[in-house]
Amino acid sequence: MSLAGEVETAHSAAGRLRSVVDQAASLLPAQGPIGIFVHHNPLHAFEDLTFEDAVIQAGQLLGAEPYMSEPDYRRELARGRIQLVDIDAVLDQENDAHIFGWLHRRALRRAMISPGVREFDAATIVWRMEQGDLKRELNLPAPGALFEACWARTSAHAEKAVPTHPIHEIIHPWLIRLCSVFLDQGISCWPMPDRNLGLYESTRNLFSQRGCIFPQHLQGLDRAFRRQAELGYSAVAVVLEYLHETGCAEADWLRVITSELQALPGWAGIIRQLEKNPAWAPHHPLPCSLMDYLAVRLTMTRVAERQGVADAAAEPDLLKTQANRRLSRAARIYDAARVLRLAPAEIHQLSDLEWAAFTREVNACNGLERRRILHLAYERCHEREVLRSLASHHQYRGPAEPAARPAAQIFFCIDEREESMRRALEEINPRLETYSAAGFFGVAIHYRSIDDNQGAAFCPVLVQPEHSIVEHPRSEDNVLLESRRSRRKMLALLMRNFLVSSRTLVRGWIATFVLGLLSVVPLVGQLLAPRRYALIRAWLHRTLLPRPRTKLAIVRNPESSQPADSGLLSGFTVDEKTERIAAVLRPAGLTRNFARWIIILGHGSTSLNNPHESAHDCGACGGRRGGPNARIFAAMANQPHVRERLRLQGIDIPADAWFIGGYHDTCSDEIELFDLDAVPRSHQEELCALRADLDAARARNAHERVRRFESSSSSTDTQQALRHVRARSEHLAQPRPEYGHCTNAVCIIGRRGLTRNLFLDRRAFLASYDAAQDADQRGLAALLAGVVPVCAGISLEYYFSFVDNDRYGCGTKLPHNITSLMGVMDGHASDLRTGLPLQMVEIHEPVRLLFVIETSPERLRPVLAANAGLQKLADNRWIRIATIDPGSGRVHVLREGRYEEFQERVERLPVALSSAEWYSGQVQHLPMAWIHPSLPVREKLA
Amino acid sequence: MSIPQAVLIWVVLAPGVVFAALALFWLLGYTPGEKFLTRLSSAIYLGCTAGIAVLSWTILASRAAPMGIVISLGNWYAIGHDHFSLVFMADRLSLPFLALAVVLSGLIGHFSATYLHREPGFLRFYLLLHLFAFGSFLAFAGGSFDVLAVGWEIVGITSVLLIGFFQQRSAPVENGLRVFGIYRICDIGLFAAIFALHRWAGTTALRRGFSHLHGMPVVVVCLLLLFAASGKAAQVPFSGWLPRAMEGPTPSSAIFYGAISIHVGAYLLLRAEPLLARSPLASGCVILIGGLTALHGTFAGRVSADAKTSLAYATLTQVGIVFIEIGLGWKWLAVAHIMGNAIIRTLQYLRAPSMLRDYHQMYAASGHKEPVAAVSKRTGRLGQIQLLFYRWSFDRGHLDTILDRWVIAPLFRVSECLAKLDKMGTSASGVQAHLILPCMSGPLSQENPE
Repeated sequence: MSLAGEVETAHSAAGRLRSVVDQAASLLPAQGPIGIFVHHNPLHAFEDLTFEDAVIQAGQLLGAEPYMSEPDYRRELARGRIQLVDIDAVLDQENDAHIFGWLHRRALRRAMISPGVREFDAATIVWRMEQGDLKRELNLPAPGALFEACWARTSAHAEKAVPTHPIHEIIHPWLIRLCSVFLDQGISCWPMPDRNLGLYESTRNLFSQRGCIFPQHLQGLDRAFRRQAELGYSAVAVVLEYLHETGCAEADWLRVITSELQALPGWAGIIRQLEKNPAWAPHHPLPCSLMDYLAVRLTMTRVAERQGVADAAAEPDLLKTQANRRLSRAARIYDAARVLRLAPAEIHQLSDLEWAAFTREVNACNGLERRRILHLAYERCHEREVLRSLASHHQYRGPAEPAARPAAQIFFCIDEREESMRRALEEINPRLETYSAAGFFGVAIHYRSIDDNQGAAFCPVLVQPEHSIVEHPRSEDNVLLESRRSRRKMLALLMRNFLVSSRTLVRGWIATFVLGLLSVVPLVGQLLAPRRYALIRAWLHRTLLPRPRTKLAIVRNPESSQPADSGLLSGFTVDEKTERIAAVLRPAGLTRNFARWIIILGHGSTSLNNPHESAHDCGACGGRRGGPNARIFAAMANQPHVRERLRLQGIDIPADAWFIGGYHDTCSDEIELFDLDAVPRSHQEELCALRADLDAARARNAHERVRRFESSSSSTDTQQALRHVRARSEHLAQPRPEYGHCTNAVCIIGRRGLTRNLFLDRRAFLASYDAAQDADQRGLAALLAGVVPVCAGISLEYYFSFVDNDRYGCGTKLPHNITSLMGVMDGHASDLRTGLPLQMVEIHEPVRLLFVIETSPERLRPVLAANAGLQKLADNRWIRIATIDPGSGRVHVLREGRYEEFQERVERLPVALSSAEWYSGQVQHLPMAWIHPSLPVREKLA
Repeated sequence: MSIPQAVLIWVVLAPGVVFAALALFWLLGYTPGEKFLTRLSSAIYLGCTAGIAVLSWTILASRAAPMGIVISLGNWYAIGHDHFSLVFMADRLSLPFLALAVVLSGLIGHFSATYLHREPGFLRFYLLLHLFAFGSFLAFAGGSFDVLAVGWEIVGITSVLLIGFFQQRSAPVENGLRVFGIYRICDIGLFAAIFALHRWAGTTALRRGFSHLHGMPVVVVCLLLLFAASGKAAQVPFSGWLPRAMEGPTPSSAIFYGAISIHVGAYLLLRAEPLLARSPLASGCVILIGGLTALHGTFAGRVSADAKTSLAYATLTQVGIVFIEIGLGWKWLAVAHIMGNAIIRTLQYLRAPSMLRDYHQMYAASGHKEPVAAVSKRTGRLGQIQLLFYRWSFDRGHLDTILDRWVIAPLFRVSECLAKLDKMGTSASGVQAHLILPCMSGPLSQENPE
């Protein structure tokens, strides 16, 4: 299109409509097809607002809760998880105001939160006063008089009517079915005709057919579509026509389009995501367009309106009469007066102005406001405990031990689920050192394994991979691969018969007889003996489909290799390899004193019957399993010419250091190490010891995880725990194969010394960072740019899915129904559900992620300022930030744009001989403790 | 009472007794824990499975009871010639069904222990599961249409309650109500048939095969039973309720609409087989309805893009074929078909959440890139017909639309008219004012005369 043409469109109505649609679409969920689940902030579009404003605004717009419910916070207050000092601290930071006489806002709010007022509403107030909790109370003379005093001065206010949407009920079943067949990736046998033309045109063709019957209120839909076809309308024209016909002024477009899109946000959202990223479609890319969706939706709406259906205000609720509303308002004031211990006479004596100020303040501190304050206190309490513990550990842990050569160094993902794994390893063998880096280990690739036809990107979603790596069989195993391929084809045929053919008429008839009776075996086996069934299956797999040994094509010759058709470079040059390895080792502080063994462990999660399986995989690998990245990293680091280059850069890897890649399954706690046959003879012996340490560590890790599961018995040993978690990953009926990121609360960026021997309860993302080797802060900038958005996305997704599981999350898993291979619905026809299911978030503590960075505020400030995205997250308080000085151990907290020094008395942490001793018998979140296996007598410390 | 007879009674009654005991405890305010419920369920169904094994051995291996085991517990009531006899029967036809129901109830009970862990409705689910098992055992072991009808009703009501299991959302409840409506309408057929049998044959006991009934009465009874069976088995024109029933937890969808409930209608017709054999007209109707349903099911299933609806239509297609087999008199083929269908569908429903991974593995294993959405090239008349066909399948044969517009909507209009008439009659008596007043006049408004 010419420049003039572009300018013209931008100014035309169509151009303006497009930009309005784009604006409205930004509020839609950003979740793509569920097979690749990437955690993100559900309120991404609101990040320009502060967190506290955003949750309220989004809540009003999307009909969602901003915080936990008030009774939830009260429970936390009662059990000491929120403390009064925190409530006071929160109130002290906010503006105070004079109300009347001796009463100030702070005192009022403090009293309204603790001892606390109750919530009243017009629908229940009469019942409560006649038969409920208020009956006895108001019959007492003093409270009765106080209530009467308040009642006498209260007037009722009108209430907004809640509109109902009868049109939605008529058009949604049709729209849902249309979207699902249009987007379908293989469940239906017949693809929607003409769907390559887009949703609008294919729907128009389909519904223009003569001789079909429509429901009562959609009669004439075929005529409407035929008319549009005759006039040659495009989707934009249809939407514009609707807006014109309904007399919608242009200023109102955004409101109308937003409410149309928010009626089925899940479906509109997935169409939007596939419009932006067509390649995300799991199998068949489709021409998606939100305008198409709107055109279909509005055509149906228009027809329904013509049939006499209209959105209307709901009938007035008989329980919310004027009198009841006045009663409930009076009760609110009464309750505030009660907690302030005001006398009835004082109420009578207030001047009209004072009374107005009083009621205004009481009404301003409504349920939402109280929940906000309680939430801030809830987070503050958590923050104090974390910072106090870290400072204490820094102060009392003693001098670092002399730097002997460690037995091995093990790199994990920053994932908080690996925290317990690292701790277990170090407990088992104090000569092991652990590090962490984002789980793709700097290797952003497009990877294709021998079993896949298409490759996929193994890197964070924000990164576009430029290199492709293909897994090849070793030349001696080529034959094996051939037989594997042909046998897999037979397997595919069998699966097709079970999955697809059994659903048809004639083939289904045969399949029902043959496969039907054979199905007894998997049915009974998988349900009654899942573990044994899985073992037999695995054995069959090994015997019938042996896996050839493979190699990775990682070498690229810069002269000869050209970008392939896909625009991807195959393999890496020496420079590229060096750059990637240095980018991981240097910020982590591993530049000298290398062990003979360095293990790189990627991670992922395997579970059965779980549409949300990918949500447990590695976020840094774009919701995939990070094995290949670790394997490639190790292979690159073992190449002598790469090491030579690294040496020039000051990273001196001795010749006897050997890197090896591996994969940790966070659900079954299996660990697989790659390319063991390439290990030099000199290293073989240590491998056995290392393997034993890893096995012991994963068993301990499983044991620590198992304490959270209600269905496990408390008296398991580590081997039983290992069996338990493995059974979870292989059970068809298991809705909680693992708890995933459910416990995330903190992200600590610093040296391992800061957290070593510290029981963090799998609640902390850990990123290795050594400020001493990062004089210019460039390492920190790169680290934060990668780590903060990923961890904040995870934390906020869990936060919102927890506080409103129905609106931000996807509800309970039990009625979920996979649709179009794109997502899940509740039952047979609902909106596409986005977010996390109840079973994944149920033990979460909804706090914003607290980043503790081992550096000083002076050094952190310019780093944040240089990155607009980070600055926004920090300024608007979507994340919490604190620093701990690497030298002095002084802690600063970022509050309202300023770094305040954390001044609390630091006491010694409780000590336990092992992690197991600290957590045994406990199921709840635990405070930090010092795990000190080498101190046999605890009194020594006291 | 011989041993097999006692076993039969105990197998049938066990889940009912457990249901009653649990329900009573629950009403008394005692909620048993998950572990107890799970163990209890395993114990009952293991016991029942053993019982079924004993019965099978008795019936199949010994010649003593070639006609099966019959036990009569006397009459519930008897008025003149009419009586409701409590008679149970296990023969070669009911045994496979009983075995299927027992084993699947046990498996689903085992599955749900993990699947529904921590779900607030855990006890409610198990109560309904036991009640359902009791109902299906009654239906399969009933020795007369009277007893069968009791089981039939219990299966129906538990089915509806489990569709509406997630009461906090409106869709499950609305869909449950719709299924309930269709069940009730079709139940009229069953009750009318029972009434007719009492009237014309003097009994509804299955054992004698109603051999003295001939002519018109046979046709009438068969058609009434067919009407009842069609509703329960979601045959055309009632098929629209089946996808709507997918609102409950996955295991209940599996046992109801993959295995037992959906096949109870076919079992009714198998029981009526001696009558059907004497009426070519009724058999023809069975074949016609089965054929239409099979076609309807396969076409509607081909355009369904969600796992559970797709499986629902797959089940329905095969149930349609089962009806054809019954109409043709191929009784044992139909039984085998039902068994195969029930087992494969149960497995498929339980594995429905795996569909994402299964498809991915299938595509990857097949070795070639999956055909990019077979873009149908529609040209000329043929293309037009294809499109029309798709359109027809898309609205599931317009079945629900027709029901809504020409059956339900007129019914509503009639009842609205009646309601108006009613209002005219009652407005003078001030009933409405009574309903509203208590809300407005609390004691306080009297205390504070404003």
